[in-house]
Amino acid sequence: MSFRHLDRFAQVRSPVTRVPAAGRVFGTVVLALATATLPAGAWVQLGLLAAVSLALLAIAHVPLRVALARLAWPLGLVLLASLALLVVMPGEPLARLGPVAVTAQGADRFAMVMGRAMVALLPAVLLVSTTSFPELLQGLRELRVPVAVATALGLAYRLLYLTVDELERLQRAARSRHAGGGVTRRRHLITAIAAATLGRAFVRAERTHAAMLARGFRGTLPLLHAPVWTYRAVLNVAAVSILVLAVAASARLP
Amino acid sequence: MTALVQARDVTYHYPDGTPALDTVAFTVAAGERVALLGPTGAGKSTLLQSLNGLLRPSAGAVLVGGVAVNDETVTAVRRRVGLVFQNPDDQLFLPSLLEDVAFGPLNAGASRAEAATRSHAVLEALGLAAAHDRAAHHLSGGERRLAALATVLVSQPDLLVLDEPSGDLDARSRRRLRDILAERREALLVATHDLEFVRGLCSRALVLVAGKLAWDGALDVLLADRAMMERFGLVA
Repeated sequence: MSFRHLDRFAQVRSPVTRVPAAGRVFGTVVLALATATLPAGAWVQLGLLAAVSLALLAIAHVPLRVALARLAWPLGLVLLASLALLVVMPGEPLARLGPVAVTAQGADRFAMVMGRAMVALLPAVLLVSTTSFPELLQGLRELRVPVAVATALGLAYRLLYLTVDELERLQRAARSRHAGGGVTRRRHLITAIAAATLGRAFVRAERTHAAMLARGFRGTLPLLHAPVWTYRAVLNVAAVSILVLAVAASARLP
Repeated sequence: MTALVQARDVTYHYPDGTPALDTVAFTVAAGERVALLGPTGAGKSTLLQSLNGLLRPSAGAVLVGGVAVNDETVTAVRRRVGLVFQNPDDQLFLPSLLEDVAFGPLNAGASRAEAATRSHAVLEALGLAAAHDRAAHHLSGGERRLAALATVLVSQPDLLVLDEPSGDLDARSRRRLRDILAERREALLVATHDLEFVRGLCSRALVLVAGKLAWDGALDVLLADRAMMERFGLVA
């Protein structure tokens, strides 16, 4: 698993990647919060915020199919959590599924929740796609996120890759011995691989930590490239934020 | 010769009480090249990590430049003793090679510009300049080994400590690494099973057997004595 798997568009030069990571994090939070707090029925504003997110994806050269693929898992979870809305909202029945009825109000609320989740998650996908993790940590530090939190995130990120590396090795070793035939045997194998993966990843993380200490690591990941705030980057972040806030505010006008 | 590193009766027990090192004593002088030999499990890696302050002896002491390694001095010690780990993947964890190499100088307080300049210079010297923006997993085994070396050389240590540097290298990469090390002026301490790698590179050998220092003398003398090599478990 590559260190650039998630942030593989971070090296693509664009107006988005020219904004320092702190600006990208700030913009993401503004856009996500504005979307998530839209009142029910604010379809026009939801459409406008979706257009802003899609425009930013296009500007950053992140293909829509990549963004949608990355949305699939979190959106799937939202879908599972929201399905009940279809039947628990009181209102005019649209269709019957056995003993329960899907109501028009339920369908409307369900569509709004799914739409808000999708549009709110898009800027997060854009952020992780265009920002390398050390940059992201630096951005969080600039936004005054506690050092301990930023460092814990950094170490968790590293451990994730180490764990996946170990898992891939063990899976290859198991496949090379034609392992996995039969449901019971496969279940035992998966359990054994999971236990071995965690054990190995822990040992490897310890070794990497020792290698970091040996080169003077004192709890903070230093960044080689300083973030550069240009007037244009400031203006871009300000313009997008004002636009987003204005759209969100318009949904609450009488 | 001035003692750069002194191990004074270094004893180390693992947390479960298993003894790893037993009153190991030796010195390494500035510019000296020493091979650390011994069978698997003899305590070589434990000893190397003690020199860098990663492990603290249960008894005895390690002195670097006459200064005992402790919590107050360990940062300065790590600048003087550069440790290259057995597996380069443990040492390369940042998104690009340049960032990995600059990690040490940045931790030591160098400015970003200075760290970048020094990192580029080291990568150039090791023939890795073209790979500076590549991630570790895009490098060959030989390049990864050199990259791990670069992450340590950039801090300009006085003693270069290498743990199995020739492991899993093909013949060409092995020779290239050996040639690079032969040109260095820092003191070298090379832990290895690869006797051919250290022949001609190092003048002195330390042999660890079951955590005890079993031999401290000229490498040529050791390599010429087949019976002694067998007794130490260095040959089959």
